[in-house]
Amino acid sequence: MEDIRYEIKGGHWRLSAGKAVYWEEERALIVADLHVGKAAHFRKAGIGVPANIVQEDLYRLQQLITKYNPDRLIVVGDMFHSSANNEVQYFQIWRNQFPHIRFELVTGNHDIMDPEVYASLGIDLMESLQVGGMYFVHDPKDKLLDNGETYAVSGHIHPGVWMVGYGKQRLRLPCFYFGPEGAILPAFSVFTGLYSLEPAADAAVFVIGGNGIFKV
Amino acid sequence: MKHTPGWQAIEQWLGAKGLAPFAFQEEAWEHYLQGRSGLVNAPTGFGKTFSLFLGSVIRWINEHPKDYRSRTGNGLRLMWITPLRALAKDIGRAMEEALGELHVPWAVGIRSGDTPLSVREKQKRNMPEVLIITPESLHILIAQKEYPRRFEHLETIVADEWHELLGSKRGVMTELGISRLRGLRTDLRIWGISATIGNLDEALDVLLGNLPGERVIVRADVRKAIEVESILPDEIEKYPWAGHMGLRLLHKVIPVIMESNTTLLFTNTRGQSEIWYHQILRECPELAGAIALHHGSIDAALRIWVEEALHTGILKLVVCTSSLDLGVDFRPVDTVIQVGSPKGVARFLQRAGRSGHRPDAVSRIWFLPTHSLELVEAAALKDAMAENLIESRMPVVLAYDVLLQYLMTLGVSEGFNAEEIKNEVLSTFCFREMTEEEWNWSLSFLVSGGEALQVYDEYHKLHLVGDRYYCTSKQQAMRHRLHIGTIVSDAMLKVRYLAGGYVGVIEEYFISRLTPGDSFRLSGHNLEFVMIKDMTVLVRKSKSKKSIVPSWNGGRMPLSANLGKMLRRKFHEAMSGQANEPEITILQPLFELQQLLSHIPRENELLMEQIQTEDGYHLFVYPFEGRLVHEVMAMLLAWRISQRHPITFSIAMNDYGFELLSDQPIPVDDSNADELFSPDNLTVDLQSSVNATEMARRKFRDIAVIAGLVFQGYPGKSKANRHLQSSASLLFKVFEDYDAQNILVRQAYNEAFFYQMEEARLRETLERIRNGNIVITFPQRLTPFCFPIKVDSLREELTSEKLEDRIKKMTLWQ
Repeated sequence: MEDIRYEIKGGHWRLSAGKAVYWEEERALIVADLHVGKAAHFRKAGIGVPANIVQEDLYRLQQLITKYNPDRLIVVGDMFHSSANNEVQYFQIWRNQFPHIRFELVTGNHDIMDPEVYASLGIDLMESLQVGGMYFVHDPKDKLLDNGETYAVSGHIHPGVWMVGYGKQRLRLPCFYFGPEGAILPAFSVFTGLYSLEPAADAAVFVIGGNGIFKV
Repeated sequence: MKHTPGWQAIEQWLGAKGLAPFAFQEEAWEHYLQGRSGLVNAPTGFGKTFSLFLGSVIRWINEHPKDYRSRTGNGLRLMWITPLRALAKDIGRAMEEALGELHVPWAVGIRSGDTPLSVREKQKRNMPEVLIITPESLHILIAQKEYPRRFEHLETIVADEWHELLGSKRGVMTELGISRLRGLRTDLRIWGISATIGNLDEALDVLLGNLPGERVIVRADVRKAIEVESILPDEIEKYPWAGHMGLRLLHKVIPVIMESNTTLLFTNTRGQSEIWYHQILRECPELAGAIALHHGSIDAALRIWVEEALHTGILKLVVCTSSLDLGVDFRPVDTVIQVGSPKGVARFLQRAGRSGHRPDAVSRIWFLPTHSLELVEAAALKDAMAENLIESRMPVVLAYDVLLQYLMTLGVSEGFNAEEIKNEVLSTFCFREMTEEEWNWSLSFLVSGGEALQVYDEYHKLHLVGDRYYCTSKQQAMRHRLHIGTIVSDAMLKVRYLAGGYVGVIEEYFISRLTPGDSFRLSGHNLEFVMIKDMTVLVRKSKSKKSIVPSWNGGRMPLSANLGKMLRRKFHEAMSGQANEPEITILQPLFELQQLLSHIPRENELLMEQIQTEDGYHLFVYPFEGRLVHEVMAMLLAWRISQRHPITFSIAMNDYGFELLSDQPIPVDDSNADELFSPDNLTVDLQSSVNATEMARRKFRDIAVIAGLVFQGYPGKSKANRHLQSSASLLFKVFEDYDAQNILVRQAYNEAFFYQMEEARLRETLERIRNGNIVITFPQRLTPFCFPIKVDSLREELTSEKLEDRIKKMTLWQ
């Protein structure tokens, strides 16, 4: 998984094709919209989606952790898809491999489990999180205290953009979006769709294709 | 047989009215009374209903000659399957009338999505002797506890308008429903009624499956006189080369309407019908009140009103879509106008037959071309009709999505024994070639979610209790019952006035592109979009001059193989100057321009045009084989070129030819053209090319909904289930990546490829090309042939480039 260096508000970020950000100064790995338990939730309701999606997602997160060796993992919402199910137990075992890493969850609309469940999983809950000049919040619409000094980083919408080329070619790809209002991270889980953004003219957009990441 | 009391009763009843049975009716009664099953081939309006219904009545009278006038509550005897809810009422009325006059106190019930709950409850306790039902409602009956008791006395099943069901997944539902009823009642007689299609014998086999005993086809042999007239533009040079609206000929249509009693104007899409309706009213405001609109998105009550008004003859004109293809006869209709190609001989005949309904009357149909080359189709249609080249309806086979839904249906009611149901399913035409492995997969997909059970898995759908499979979750059972059916449409939202009043329904994706304040057109009204609330679009009347017409999906039909063949012949005739029809001669200037810019292919030639424009490098190929063959042929050619070096194509096609468009020059010339069109390795290359494209993903959409993978939610409950929502394309992606063995994914590829075309037909085309000449031209500008293809926005894509390499050449769309 390639990454690209990007400097933002004085911080040095590495944007990974694995749909995560590594913030060097803070030694923080940042992801959004993991949706752990989504496949199990579907299967529990009798919708036979493949059962091994969560393993794929968590394996990729593990690779990112191994690569960047962070001190903290910040999840910008929708870490879990719905109410507790057996995939959450699988997550617990997986999480135990990294006792030294602090897991911080800025809660999203899907994070509806009891607070005790999160506690037992070793996850700190918060509605928003400010680190340096960055303000982490799940839904970009919910940026409350804007004194003009912080820059919002969110997820929620599963951003994607259309790319066009000569010969009427079109491609829709997941992206990192850095607009004037704030940044939006791509959804981490493979079991998520895309919402097509219409990028602002002065936005920085990085698309992900295969193992590559490209500034466009 | 003619001397039996039943037959006598019928003859006397008819005789009293001064009528006698048609020969085919007597033939059908005879076969039925002898215990045979079969198919009646008769057009609408010639007593096809009575050819089977009365057979059943004769049998009843024969069995109870003494007390048939007094016996009531006899249980369900005859089940009448109809594709259209709207037809049920009229058929029921005709049956009740006959029964009343014959003094047979049978009850006739209707069961469809519109049947009120109270009536359903009554039917539960006491089934009527005759039940008119849609395939979906039959499955809903089977989804109820103790359903076998309702069929204890069933003797006969009739599938009406079987040609409409055959060839669709609703046909598969009918087959499966019948297989279950055959399992319950071993001595059923099964009959179908079908209009003329190319494969009547096969239609019979599909309906009956492996039912033992003699089977017959009874033909009514009624031929209708049909006259076709094209509406020709005055100056062909000024008529558009591409387009699908045809409004420039509006002024020529008005006199036709004015001179007629009642006219049906058929368009191919709902969007077209809205625009035509609006434009005609603008042109002739005096028609207000005497003109109506009829299509699938219009409020059902309004549609019923239009149908009634057609009967009574108070309407001068109805602008409609295929929504009026089927159904009872509207006697006042004396003129039919078809806007744009009907794409098939059978459909054209059916529409033509909507006028002049008395057996001896001539049916008249006007053909209005929406672009110049379409006139060739009119000429082709005439010839095809003269030669009676009616299309076949290809039956759907191995539809695992429907099977999964059906097994679940059995699971939520009485449960099922796997071995018993497997044998019933194998008895149908659709699943006769299902392997043991595929059956096991289907069952295990419902039991364990299609994979080896994992420790963490909580999949629940069917459970084995004793030797029967049941669905034990009440929630899942309820959800399943609400989702029975195979008609998949885009999410539809109701449209209502703010002040109250229902207008119709509209696709969610269309509304999602509007902002409040925008105006759009529906049901002939100009509406302003206010907001969406509780799955309903709220609107008010708009005075805006500019309004958007929804471009409904699914309006595009492929040209049938038969019409394609005729079309090719017509082009060859036209090009060799042999034609003398008015439609062809008027096109002469267009052909001359084509010859000047490029070339007109002879019968043994395949024309290819290489043109560079600001869009990129185009390669146009003209096999004149119809859209379906072109789609697959384009894939094949694109795939073969892409194997030589990395390249990406955008692909478009119409009924005359196809286009490959690329951002780099397309390496096709005299040296490799023969090889690229070679029939060698066809099977392998086709398989690979179809896998490389988006076609299967599109097919998967319906499959996912039918198989119950996409949960669409239902009114009022949409919120509680929001965590279960996903799109079919997302599911396709995860199945492809993480469960490639999934049969439903394989079905999607099969549907994209095998149903789409017979490989034999493509091979034949390729052989024809091999034995002829390939002509490549390099026109300096777009030609009359290529223009309609080039402007088509519905495109496929095929690539052999690495994703990363493609991205590097592209720019962000803003």
